[in-house]
Amino acid sequence: MLAEIYQGKTLTPVVKHITQEKINLYAEASGDFNPIHVDESFAAETPLGGTIAHGMLILAYVSEMMEQAFGQSWARSGKLSVRFRMPARPGDTVTATGNIASVREEGDISYVNCRLECHNQKDEVIVTGEGSTELAHSQGGTRGSR
Amino acid sequence: MLDKAKNKDAVAYEELSVGYEFPATSYELSSSLVTKYLEAVDNSGNNFVPPLAVAARAMTAMTQSLSLPPGTIHASQDFEFFKLVPIGSVVSCQAKVVRNLARGQMRMLVLELNVFDQKEQKVQSGKATIILPA
Repeated sequence: MLAEIYQGKTLTPVVKHITQEKINLYAEASGDFNPIHVDESFAAETPLGGTIAHGMLILAYVSEMMEQAFGQSWARSGKLSVRFRMPARPGDTVTATGNIASVREEGDISYVNCRLECHNQKDEVIVTGEGSTELAHSQGGTRGSR
Repeated sequence: MLDKAKNKDAVAYEELSVGYEFPATSYELSSSLVTKYLEAVDNSGNNFVPPLAVAARAMTAMTQSLSLPPGTIHASQDFEFFKLVPIGSVVSCQAKVVRNLARGQMRMLVLELNVFDQKEQKVQSGKATIILPA
C-alpha cells in the first residue's frame, strides 16, 4: 500500500505480457469463449485480423494496481469507470498506470480519486478511465495537495 | 468482447426493451476457479476473490442468456464494489437493460448488473456498454 496519499502521487504501475495461453486461461476462468479471443483462424478473418485479449482481462491489471495502492479498501469500496480505446493482442506488453487526481477528507475517511490508463509497448492507449476508493485514516497517511 | 451465447433460449439483442430483466443466475466462486483466474491474470491473490473475478463471472452469466453476434465490442465499463467476497462464496447476479439504441449500422446496448451474496447483501454493481451491428 502507498505510505502517503496525496494529489499527484503516481501509483506503482502493473506491467503484464499478454499471451494467447493467458487469454485462453482467462476464457476458461471467466467462461467467455468468444471466438474473437480464442479462435485464431476465426479472428484472422475479422476486421481485427487476429485474436484480442478480453477487455476484462486488461481491467484485472488496473484492479491489481489499485489493490496494491489502497489494499482491501479497493475491493470494499472501489469504483471504476473505464472506456476501452483499442484491443490488446497476444505479444503485447500492457502497462496499467495511474495517479491520484484528488483527495477529499470527510471525518476519518479520505476519498481518493485516480486517473487511470493502460497502454501497450508502442505507447498506444488501450484503456482510459478513473477509479476511486475510500480510505480509513488508519490505512495510510494522507496530506493535502502539493 | 463478450461471449456469443450458445443457449438456444437466448434472447435476441434487437428485441430487448429497456427495463428487461434477465433471468437471475447464481454461481460459486470456488477455490479452483479463483486459482485459474489468478493464473490467467498473473496475480498471486489473497484470501478473497478479486473483485474483477466476481465481475467477469457475472458478465458471462448475464451474456449467456443473450444472443450476441461475434465481433460484439465491449466499449465501456463501470463498477462499484461494496464488500469483500470470501473464496468459496456463492453469489447471484441480476441484470437488466437500461439502454438499447440503434444508430445507423450500429447498436448500443447498456446493461446494468448487480451481484449479491447469500445474505442478499450487494457485493458489487456494474454497467456495461456494448456495441453491436444494428
